Amino acid sequence: MARKALLISPERCIGCRGCQTACKEWNHLPGTKTVNRGTVENPPDLTPYLYNRIRYIETATEADMVRWLFVSQRCMHCGDAGCIKICPAPGALFRTKEGAVAFNKEKCIGCKLCVAGCPFDVPRYDDKDKISKCHLCYDRTSEGLLPACAKTCPTGAIRYGERDALIGMAKKEGYGKVYGEADLDGLGALYAFIDPPKLYGMSEKPAIPESVVFWHKVLKPLAYIGLGGAVAAAVLHYVAFGPKKDEEVKKDE
Amino acid sequence: MNKMVRKANAFEIVNHWVLAGSFFVLAVSGFGFLFQLEQLNSVFGSFNTMKVWHNWAGVVFIVSLVLTIVHYLSVSLRFTSDDMEWFSKAGGYLSRRVKAPPQDELNAGQKLYYLVVLVAGIAISASGLVIWLRPASSDITRLVLISHLIHNICFDLLVFAIPAHIYLATLANPGTFRIMVYGTVPLEWARKRHQKWVQKIGV
Ligand code: SF4
Ligand code: SF4
Ligand code: SF4
Repeated sequence: MARKALLISPERCIGCRGCQTACKEWNHLPGTKTVNRGTVENPPDLTPYLYNRIRYIETATEADMVRWLFVSQRCMHCGDAGCIKICPAPGALFRTKEGAVAFNKEKCIGCKLCVAGCPFDVPRYDDKDKISKCHLCYDRTSEGLLPACAKTCPTGAIRYGERDALIGMAKKEGYGKVYGEADLDGLGALYAFIDPPKLYGMSEKPAIPESVVFWHKVLKPLAYIGLGGAVAAAVLHYVAFGPKKDEEVKKDE
Repeated sequence: MNKMVRKANAFEIVNHWVLAGSFFVLAVSGFGFLFQLEQLNSVFGSFNTMKVWHNWAGVVFIVSLVLTIVHYLSVSLRFTSDDMEWFSKAGGYLSRRVKAPPQDELNAGQKLYYLVVLVAGIAISASGLVIWLRPASSDITRLVLISHLIHNICFDLLVFAIPAHIYLATLANPGTFRIMVYGTVPLEWARKRHQKWVQKIGV
């Protein structure tokens, strides 16, 4: 199946946060009490009960004295996902046939390593220490429905479809570079940015932490090599030199 | 010829078994987590139960490791010129003709081994506790990543060092393993391997 994705266009977003509400609605996520921080942006961060959120960024320039950017934040459904890489529990995080990164709370052991492996600080943990994050509504998309957030968005700032088609569409709309087109084997949440990603609060070059890559490429195989090497060395030593028998130690004297 | 000398007391023997047992559980489940070995579900039931075993075996391991300090740390820190010579001759393990210099209660290799296990054991325990008991907040990611790295480096070290230790204490040196069962060794065995120690205890 062709890989599916979301195309997010901050310039189209009016900051209504319908997507936040729709996501909570579909996923039966409870509301949480927040405080007035003097901004319409709310809550201030992703929580175990908030899989997506609109970030409000005010940027003033000479030409544009009032510019508000509304940037949807959620799991990016990385092609090369740090969370999957570091997760020790089979089936806790898995790739859907649409190409999304979904989770199974029953398989999750609550080690909280995935947030350390994630370049975007996405996974959160519920009151039972189980992972919770956006799963690209794979329970809807597998039935041919749109993700709840994309479905509810009134302006088309969140669109869902075949990844390649979305990239083509963004380019036709005049966005030269689509954020997430190639990073981490391609993200499943693409962004149509006019300005450099930094302005939208996104890192220019998202990457899985180097220590996780080193662990995956070197330390993991070394565990088998170390164990195998110890056994092999023991066998070789036994064959080549043999045991130190008491009598022989004595003979040496 | 058949006279026995005591090399380990009952406490040391029991503690060594506890340390070995907890390490075995930790290493097996550790491999399970490292390579997502679902076959281990037939032993532990599920990865969730395996995590409980891993964490609490870790607690047992820590207590047991700390208790070893009483018996082995001070002797392991005393390196003499005989010890250096022991290293240069690889303890006589790489030739049938080379004679290793006389050794104390622990030989040079055992001293080094103990220090490696102690340091790696403390590091793997501390980093494991960080991963286990970290608060949910995401701003300690760096600490968790460092702990994850240390935990795995020590794991690699220990899964090499401990099988080697088992080989040296069993097949490579017949008669040694009985220390872990009876705590005693034949005087002859001790004279050949720990001459200085035998002189010291004066048997
Ligand atoms: S954004 Fe983070 S949680 Fe989502 S797939 Fe990528 S690594 Fe995993
Ligand atoms: S918290 Fe759950 S999903 Fe995340 S790495 Fe651990 S087992 Fe995997
Ligand atoms: S795709 Fe579904 S789970 Fe993800 S943010 Fe949208 S509504 Fe929530």
